[in-house]
Amino acid sequence: MAIQGAEQTILRDPALFYWILFPISIVMILTGILRHYATVMMNNPPKSAATLAESRERLALLRGVNLRNNACSVLDREAFEVRKNYMVTGFRSGAFLKDPNNRGQPPANPMTDPAGMEAMMGMLKGNMMMMIPQTLIMSWINAFFSGFVILKLPFPLTIRFKSMLQSGVMTRDLDVQWVSSLSWYFLNLMGLQSVFGFILGSDNAANQMAQQMGMANPAAMVNPLQPGQDPDKLYLSEAENLEVMEHFCILDGVEERILQNFAPAGI
Amino acid sequence: MAGTVSDVREISGSDMISALHLAQQAPVILGPESGSTSATDTAAYYARIEQLMLACLRTGDDQSAHTCLNRLSLRFGPSNERIMGLRGLYEEATAKDQAALEKCLQEYDHTLSQSPVNVPILKRRVALLRSLNRPTDAISALIQLLDAIPTDAEAWCELADLYQTQGLGAQAIFSLEEALLIAPNSWNIHARLGELLYITSTDGDAPRLLGKSVQHFSRSIELCDDYLRGFYGLTLASTRMLENNYGQPQTLERLKAFALHQLGEIVKTRSVDDQHWASSRSELIAAKELLNRFPLKV
Repeated sequence: MAIQGAEQTILRDPALFYWILFPISIVMILTGILRHYATVMMNNPPKSAATLAESRERLALLRGVNLRNNACSVLDREAFEVRKNYMVTGFRSGAFLKDPNNRGQPPANPMTDPAGMEAMMGMLKGNMMMMIPQTLIMSWINAFFSGFVILKLPFPLTIRFKSMLQSGVMTRDLDVQWVSSLSWYFLNLMGLQSVFGFILGSDNAANQMAQQMGMANPAAMVNPLQPGQDPDKLYLSEAENLEVMEHFCILDGVEERILQNFAPAGI
Repeated sequence: MAGTVSDVREISGSDMISALHLAQQAPVILGPESGSTSATDTAAYYARIEQLMLACLRTGDDQSAHTCLNRLSLRFGPSNERIMGLRGLYEEATAKDQAALEKCLQEYDHTLSQSPVNVPILKRRVALLRSLNRPTDAISALIQLLDAIPTDAEAWCELADLYQTQGLGAQAIFSLEEALLIAPNSWNIHARLGELLYITSTDGDAPRLLGKSVQHFSRSIELCDDYLRGFYGLTLASTRMLENNYGQPQTLERLKAFALHQLGEIVKTRSVDDQHWASSRSELIAAKELLNRFPLKV
């Protein structure tokens, strides 16, 4: 156990700072930038629908959702019932499907479906872009700098941080303030987001958070269907949602409402 | 303050006056061939170029429009769907005669046979059919488009407009309701739907349609409390309801008085700040005329 109260001192060669701390940070930043541009280059936008029927299959679901969400602010009961019946019948009978004849059959294997294959390749590429540089850099650090203590934090920390700050240094008694080279790599990996945000702009591809949040693309042709998902199942559940919907209309009584809220006194 | 507001309006270029202003700035914006430096290579810059192109076409500056189009297609490639749409628009706008327009149509058909879901071209085709005076074809083309892309509010609005020109009120109302389902908080569509209901309410179902019309005008006012068209329509619709003894006269009287009062206020303030509201001057004149017809009870 370290002696409490006594300051641990380790004499460090200042060259450690210039030849380890600095290079690791620089390499991490450069990799991040490189990853950003590589992702931008290899990223291809999600395929828009190839035929009108395919587009309808995708967007009919959104239409149902729109109806469910917004009916209360637009439609009176009669108009709503007509639309609801139309949508429910369409969903149930599979009229919106790309080819209604294939209904009820198990979805095609995403491995054989070229569109699904493409999406999988996209995901794979994105993951590879993260994995390969990380593996390379970590093995580089392990090969050259393993076991170096390169930095002393200027503030005390509790013992729990030991595994985070001193990976690769198997010293039980070393104070937690000391940071090993491998840990410095991890700290950089996690902590450089704001630096990338500063260099590349806020929506950069080096941002791992954005990667994890999924490729939300604001393209006009959104596709609510994931590859390999059976649209028929989604339709049926949406039809059920519509069926149980309780209709109300915020247009009822809007006249009194605006008189109360906007009209000046005396009218 | 006035300067910044007018700047913003000039950028929008959505009405004739600001379109003219924007088009007059074309030489400055296009400038000498600067190449795509990183400073200009932004989405905002290209959106501005696109707007400038539209403004130039509207004001007859075809040369500048062509420059804009070239610059856009240089950046995004001629096979980009949006660029194809813009190019089609340019061809249509500069077409000399009917035959040239027919040729545009054939070109669109050819493009669509290769990529059937090219939305900008699909829309251009509808617009072209409309300007070729073939509204029935335009309607059926638009229905085909909406069957595939039912979440396009713009297309629903256009369909409503087409139906209305054909005198199909009920269909137009249906289409606008669909547009509202996609964009439920757009007060202009609410007011437009109110107008359509008001126009259609001449036949047997009048009480219900007029009542809905008043409701939609009220809703548009609730969403935007100085919307001139909303107040204007509310005045007309409530007046007609009162004349025919539909609904509750008490509420309607109050609504009418409220709408007239607000219209008076709007006319007063906007007449002072004339430059700022230059684009909606016709609306203002119509509102004044309405106020003269219904003298305010003081």
